[in-house]
Amino acid sequence: MTTPVTPAETRAVAVPPAASSAVSLRGLTKEFGGTRVVDRIDLDVAAGEFFSLLGPSGCGKTTTLRMIAGFNDPTSGTVLVGGEDVTSTPPHKRDVNTVFQSYALFEHLDVRGNVGFGLRRKGVDRSTIDQRVSEMLELVELGPRAKDRPAQLSGGQRQRVALARALINRPKVLLLDEPLAALDLKLRRAMQVELKTIQREVGITFLFVTHDQDEALSMSDRVAIMNDGVIEQCGTPEDVYENPTSVFAASFIGTSNLMQGTYAGGEVRVAPGLAVPVPGLTGSAEGDRLSVAIRPEKIWMSDFAPSMVQVPGTIVSTSYHGATTQYLVSVATGITLTVLEQNLPRMRADDRWAPGDRVRIGWHPEHAVVLR
Amino acid sequence: MARTRRLERKPVLAVVVTVVFFAWLYLPILAVALFSLNDTKSLASFSGFSLRWYDTLIHDSALIDSLWASIKIATVATLASLVLGTTLALGLERVRSRRGRVIGAVTLLPLVTPEIVTGVAALLLFTGVGLKLSLSTVTLAEITFSIAYVTVIVRGRLGSMSPEVEEAARDLGCTPWQALRLVTLPALFPALLGSGLLVFALVFDDFVLAFFTTGVDPQPLPVRIYSSIRFGISPAINAVGTLMLLVSGLLIVAALLLPRLFNRKTSSLDLITGGERR
Repeated sequence: MTTPVTPAETRAVAVPPAASSAVSLRGLTKEFGGTRVVDRIDLDVAAGEFFSLLGPSGCGKTTTLRMIAGFNDPTSGTVLVGGEDVTSTPPHKRDVNTVFQSYALFEHLDVRGNVGFGLRRKGVDRSTIDQRVSEMLELVELGPRAKDRPAQLSGGQRQRVALARALINRPKVLLLDEPLAALDLKLRRAMQVELKTIQREVGITFLFVTHDQDEALSMSDRVAIMNDGVIEQCGTPEDVYENPTSVFAASFIGTSNLMQGTYAGGEVRVAPGLAVPVPGLTGSAEGDRLSVAIRPEKIWMSDFAPSMVQVPGTIVSTSYHGATTQYLVSVATGITLTVLEQNLPRMRADDRWAPGDRVRIGWHPEHAVVLR
Repeated sequence: MARTRRLERKPVLAVVVTVVFFAWLYLPILAVALFSLNDTKSLASFSGFSLRWYDTLIHDSALIDSLWASIKIATVATLASLVLGTTLALGLERVRSRRGRVIGAVTLLPLVTPEIVTGVAALLLFTGVGLKLSLSTVTLAEITFSIAYVTVIVRGRLGSMSPEVEEAARDLGCTPWQALRLVTLPALFPALLGSGLLVFALVFDDFVLAFFTTGVDPQPLPVRIYSSIRFGISPAINAVGTLMLLVSGLLIVAALLLPRLFNRKTSSLDLITGGERR
């Protein structure tokens, strides 16, 4: 297992939380029976941001969320919400609300009763509650179902009730624990767009936990990739996709052609006859073992520019995916690269490559990303 | 195709068996109800309609005392076992350790222990600690016996409830106590109603435990009926039996209808019979 490079944002141990942060975590750690599930996490989520915690199941993302909500007590470290230390504040006194994975609707109350629950607890007067519940139901387009019980609603509608019930309290941070996981693919895509729109409309900070990289990339302002209880990388979706800093980040988000080799003369020598130029690399000495990754869609099979690295190869297999075609290209002994080509309108079926074809592939040198 | 054709024939045997079964089951009960309205003492021939045995019953103060005693025992036992059983179920749901599972299994023991063993044990305990046998000792024994039923039914309901529901309540501003009162208990309502009615019905006509733990006067109704039968059967007993039947019937109707009044999809009977469960 490689030791991930700690990105600048998460390296500092004693940085004071930024005043504008909706959530700040400092050295947050959680152990269950001696197993460290969350390991000294530092994180700042800016106010108004749509922030995603992305990682495989068991990486500690949900535990992190539950510590922010107050359902789990951290073993050590602090949780700040809106600059205020809430580490030992019980959940009902924290200015955060949660959208649960199971939605956790109150089945004995109708939709209005569910949505107005938090305001009633706060002792808001009845007419204000009525008005705000109506506004909120309007926002999530559930006005006509106001008198229904949760049991009468579809999955997508239940999800929106859960969202409305949390949002109506206008928390400093809204925590969302894989809220779309139970929906079918089509509905999930629709809800992703809707969630993002609603977030922009209400301007509340969203902290979104998911294992779905598409979801995280398409919705978030920033993404933190979690693995084994630590944050591997944190940045904008574009940043984490284009410039992964660790092997895990490169392979968890999207697919990558991962190669290992020795650094020498501005190149990573991957195999006899295959060297990947890595211009502008600093901090590595000759002879260092390095990993280098190239995204499949960054590799071209025609129309090369003079500045591109070009390599001969043989098509091993092709698979047709509708909008794209994926080729496996053998370029050196033991090295097979995945190449993803757009199926452009000018291409006909017999234009595409077939297994056994000798081809040339090429990429721009800056698309070869060095990982440590 | 072959299957549907076979079903098109009338299942004569099945119909006969069903009719005989129901006759065997309900005719004796119908007979009790019928002869409670007989105007003679005969249990063999029905000679005319009268309410004289109900009149006799009303004036039989010992029998009325016993009826009240049984109602009181059942009411107290129901309320007490609901409180204790629900508390136990809530506790057991939270203790997910191995120790919790062992305790959970132990609470089920009263369900499978022969009642006569429970009865004798209770009797030995009460006499051993020098408690005078009375309606209180019966009530104590019945509560002990009933907790398991409440715990089993309430745990079933709790188990089908996501723990996130209670967390959602806390997230929305409830203290733990408020979350219990405003969210958990309302969600448990069908289970509480169902197990309450079940315990009431079980305790109200329980004979074995009552027989071992009761004092002399007044005795619980089933014990009373048993001792009076030894001196010859009075049709007043039929009247009591018919009244008990009516009460049980009303309880069942209540169990079916009450949840509907609260616009719930599950009735508590579904819950007892293991029907619809979400």
